[in-house]
Amino acid sequence: MYGRITPEMVSASTLNDINAALSSLDRSSAELSSGKKILEPSDDPYGASRVIDLNSQIEGLNSYGGAVQDGIAWTQAASGAMSNIGEVVQRVRELLVEASNGTFNEGDLHNIGVEVTQLTEAVKQAANTQYAGQYVFSGTLTTTAPYKAGAEDAFQGNTEGIARSIGPNATVEVSSKLSEVLGSGTGAADGKLLDTLRTIAQHLGEATPESRAALNTTDLKNLDNNMESLIQLEATNGSTTDQLKTAATRIETLENALTKALSNTQDANIAQVSIAYSSEQAAYSAALRAGANIIQESLLNFLHE
Amino acid sequence: MDVTANNIANSNTEGYSRETAVLQPTAPIEIPALSALTGEGARLGTGVTIETISRIRNAYLDSQYRTQNSALSSASTQAEELAQAQSAFNEPSSAGLATQLSAFWSAWTSLSDAPTSEAAKEGVVAAGNQLASTLNQLSGQLQAISKQATEQYEARAGAGGEVESDAKQIAQLNGQIRLAEESGQQPNEMLDRRDLLLDKLSGLAQVTVAKQADGTDTVTFGGAAKPLVEGTTVNWPQALSTASGGQLGALLTLTSPTGAFASYQEALNTVASALATSVNALHTSTPFFSGKTAATIAVAVTPAQVQTSSTGTPGGNDVALAIAALRGGAADQSYSALVERVGSDVKSARDEQTNLQTTLTAINSQRQSVSGVSLDEEMTNMIAFQRGYQASARTLTAMDDMLETLIEHTGKVGL
Repeated sequence: MYGRITPEMVSASTLNDINAALSSLDRSSAELSSGKKILEPSDDPYGASRVIDLNSQIEGLNSYGGAVQDGIAWTQAASGAMSNIGEVVQRVRELLVEASNGTFNEGDLHNIGVEVTQLTEAVKQAANTQYAGQYVFSGTLTTTAPYKAGAEDAFQGNTEGIARSIGPNATVEVSSKLSEVLGSGTGAADGKLLDTLRTIAQHLGEATPESRAALNTTDLKNLDNNMESLIQLEATNGSTTDQLKTAATRIETLENALTKALSNTQDANIAQVSIAYSSEQAAYSAALRAGANIIQESLLNFLHE
Repeated sequence: MDVTANNIANSNTEGYSRETAVLQPTAPIEIPALSALTGEGARLGTGVTIETISRIRNAYLDSQYRTQNSALSSASTQAEELAQAQSAFNEPSSAGLATQLSAFWSAWTSLSDAPTSEAAKEGVVAAGNQLASTLNQLSGQLQAISKQATEQYEARAGAGGEVESDAKQIAQLNGQIRLAEESGQQPNEMLDRRDLLLDKLSGLAQVTVAKQADGTDTVTFGGAAKPLVEGTTVNWPQALSTASGGQLGALLTLTSPTGAFASYQEALNTVASALATSVNALHTSTPFFSGKTAATIAVAVTPAQVQTSSTGTPGGNDVALAIAALRGGAADQSYSALVERVGSDVKSARDEQTNLQTTLTAINSQRQSVSGVSLDEEMTNMIAFQRGYQASARTLTAMDDMLETLIEHTGKVGL
């Protein structure tokens, strides 16, 4: 307490109080209109840096989410192509079984051989499947078709993998190495699908007893082996799709959690701020009214002649 | 009544100290004839005289006020300047550097999804350009704020600035006060004006005042080597230091090579160099960024030169994936740490400012309590003086009555 109170002290402290009331009113109104409690870093330095981190993480998850969806589409395109090839192989196997039971004449076998050649072309076409302008089975040479149309069967791509990011420092390889099932044809004599198909067509065309015998034995066995590895590759691709779908779910959950954390850190509690705002408004008008009343009074008012 | 009128007239004058008339009875008349009654003669009062009109002021509160005022002015200058730096960062917002960084990493993720896409490559270069130019701008803004602070210092402390002109006025007042006191006058108004100037100076830097016997003040300012004012001499310009306090000390502290602005700039350079180094280390075909400071960083590649794979195959995306995985790395971390530091610097300067403001308001109230003019008090005094005057007048009337009786109504001789 001070010994003497002068009007200047009263007006200074009233002015201070009015300013203080106005500045908290201003703060609350800024929080209300922006909906945020961190308007600049100094409001909550740690909170501000956390908002930056969280925003970056959420943006990161968004981009991983995009990459995962892209990866899923990629593996689904691959899966479609592989099941096409599987159907073709199945069809060739049926023809092979029919041809090998010995009831067909040479002309029939020759016709079947032509169909097998056409089916081989269909396999190569399926292998040339593109996703978003990129050849799915060319390794990283995605601008080059893996197989040329026609008699040339050599694989044109490479065996490098393509990955998609599914999280910070986590990637999944989405490319399937179909060339390991299809091979590079008779030129390579690798016993892979294209080699087998070409051999079958050749044996059907020749129609000699040896080739007829081969149809039923080695060719059928090779075809079954090729089918087996195709199914394995398809299964691997399918599990990649599943892995990506799981990742998508995880990313979504994580994104929700982070968005909630972000909201907790930066968003103003509207109910709380509204209540504070109206009580500050009341305090402000009270301060104004008190100032207007107190400062007018002085002994002067009561001195009369 | 005259003193009261002066007090009332100056009740709102800045720096005015209330005055009181110090009254003293005038020397009595000794009447030795009455010594028989009292044994030592009698004294007859002769009335009252004004001994002096004195200023009511507490020098201790003045020096406390000036110390706190220096500290407050230093804190509020720091808070103001740092807040400018803070607003240059523009965080948290969708236009800040953090968002640009994030967008840059996302552009690389998009490119890793479509390594052959020209649009994705252009996206990476565009995001990189925007990031680099935001860094350049931020660095430029920090430099401009620092430069403005230096200019502000020069304007106040340089030749012909505020310090010098205030010091000259104080020196002049010193001379006038000495003259007045030599001739036995009480130069209250000049003392008030000098105190007001000293209060003002204390906002610029710490002020120490040594009162001299001849009535002059010797003023030491901001720890400068020679006194700013000594008698009627002004020693200015002089060099101040970061420890000078007040606004000038704060400006020197902020702009010093180890000050806040330099350290923000340095931290921003760390962000830029972390970004350039980490991206260039992965982008091996040709450096993606040129320049390693915030002011010089720029994208050095065309969209066609953007590298997506280490083997150079069109569909490979290992490089793009690796760069996208830099998200949340050294560059992001050092930037968010920088924002946190700027924020807490501003916050602590503001908190200090608020605390000092409270203290200063308290001291000022104490000062006002001592020196301020209370109208109620002056009114009361006025009534007292008025009544005293009326009573004196009444005394005169009574004496007049008595004299009248004596002259008019005593025995009429010769009639």
